Amino acid sequence: MRRGRSLPYVFLGPTLGILIVLALVPTIYAINISLQNRTLSAPNADYVWFANYLALFSDARFLNALWVSFKWEIISVTATMVTGLAIGIAMFEAASPRMRNILCVLFIIPVLLPRVCAAFVWKFAFHPLYGALTWPVRELTGITPDILSTPLGALLAVAFVDVWQWGLFFAVIILKLLESLPPQPLEAARIDRATRFEIHRFVTLPMLKAPLISLLLVKAIESLRSFDLVYVMTRGGPGISTETLDMYAYSQGFIEAGKISYASSMAVIMMVLTIVTFTFTWKRLNR
Amino acid sequence: MKLSTLLLKLLLLFAAALVVLPLLWTLLNAFKTNADLLVSTPKLVFQPVWDNMSYVLNRRSVARALTNSLIICSSAVLLGAVLGVPAAYVIARFKNRITAEARFFVLSLRFLPPVAIAIPMLVIWLGLDLYDTRLSLIVTYLIVTASITIWLSVPAFERVSLHVEEAARVDGLGPYATFFRVALPIARFQVFGAIAFSFVLVWNEFLLAMMLTTSKAKTLPIIASEMSQLGMNVPWGILNAAVVLLSLPPLILLGVLAGGLNAAFSKKTDQG
Repeated sequence: MRRGRSLPYVFLGPTLGILIVLALVPTIYAINISLQNRTLSAPNADYVWFANYLALFSDARFLNALWVSFKWEIISVTATMVTGLAIGIAMFEAASPRMRNILCVLFIIPVLLPRVCAAFVWKFAFHPLYGALTWPVRELTGITPDILSTPLGALLAVAFVDVWQWGLFFAVIILKLLESLPPQPLEAARIDRATRFEIHRFVTLPMLKAPLISLLLVKAIESLRSFDLVYVMTRGGPGISTETLDMYAYSQGFIEAGKISYASSMAVIMMVLTIVTFTFTWKRLNR
Repeated sequence: MKLSTLLLKLLLLFAAALVVLPLLWTLLNAFKTNADLLVSTPKLVFQPVWDNMSYVLNRRSVARALTNSLIICSSAVLLGAVLGVPAAYVIARFKNRITAEARFFVLSLRFLPPVAIAIPMLVIWLGLDLYDTRLSLIVTYLIVTASITIWLSVPAFERVSLHVEEAARVDGLGPYATFFRVALPIARFQVFGAIAFSFVLVWNEFLLAMMLTTSKAKTLPIIASEMSQLGMNVPWGILNAAVVLLSLPPLILLGVLAGGLNAAFSKKTDQG
């Protein structure tokens, strides 16, 4: 046997083993707990099988959370992609190489900030009495706009912070993608007197279709991790208008009732939904 | 200059301002007294005070959370790197069905909703009597750090030219020596970027830390979010100071990341 044949097994085996254990054990536990009636206060629990799942679908607050999460995914993913494309193309068209470097570093900053911090920065900017962002409105009209207290405003404000973090980051990636394209098709299009808009609409973006779709998927996955933003900015409020699935599961399992089994059944539904959706899409894309 | 160029430049200027101004503003606010902060017309000129910073820095809960964050994050990142980087090399170098499946499995760990990990983990750690310990968070975070390190390091190793490794083999290096003395040094910047990124992710992590700790093992983001609940009046000055301190480590890592991430993502374009 040749020396060092063992490398793939030694390098990959233990890692995969550990990750499989770390992923499978919680998954099995989550399913197991969701079939019981466990609470945080009582140590004993009985199996109630699918009672939790049945209860979920007559729970108006759960259906609301499902709907809010769906809206959140659509709004945050679309807005991030549009912002990323707009600013990425703007950098490609109008910025000198030196400017591009400076802007790229700047646009990466927001995504690296802890989301708790980003949420605080903007929450204070949106503050109706003292916020810097609401100041012009206060000065000009005398009213104190409380964006976070209206259902739609709150959702859009949280989405804005998300786009501030991810949209600008995506702009950097999209610029790098544009820079990596071969220049010939662009020159050909310019000779044909295509406008800038036409060049991007019909030449560059179709060429970048595959990486752009991967980016979209990455954002869709990251959008599932909105808990910290929502928690800091609105706590799911006003009322339950920004209560996403993870927020509701958290409040059911930890704050209000300690119904850990009920929360777990929600988590299982989320897990099944996301894994099925993303696995299906990802495999289809990379075929 | 064409009009459209001007408009695009304005858009870029606006976006840059949207990044710089809120951050500068937060930095200023960290040195304001509440009287300077809670005014209808924002103040640019004020007497800076160190009170907020010293309040944050001298709180015992903050000192403990800082220690917790440092220990938990660096352990999880280090373990994730030790497990992840060699695995990424295998996935990049040995293309077959098993490694392709392994690569997808690692990616699919990212699909798992954090709540779906947090709730069972809570029950498991309670059962093992490890709830609210650093160890429990380190192990939980390992899922994040190992998977991200692998995911971002695979492209780094794919870029290492096969010819170079071939040459190393001709010179009599075994596979292990090829990895440690050839492939790893060549890919080091991107691999380091991947590891740094995994650090940022767990440093910023909120939901898992929130659900898996109650007092002893709390990390900094949890403490920062709790400060908004001190008393009736939100202590905005203190909060701003906490935000500044919490944001520093990721920003310090930015320099490292700028190189690593750029390279990792421009790799994607070769396929596209």
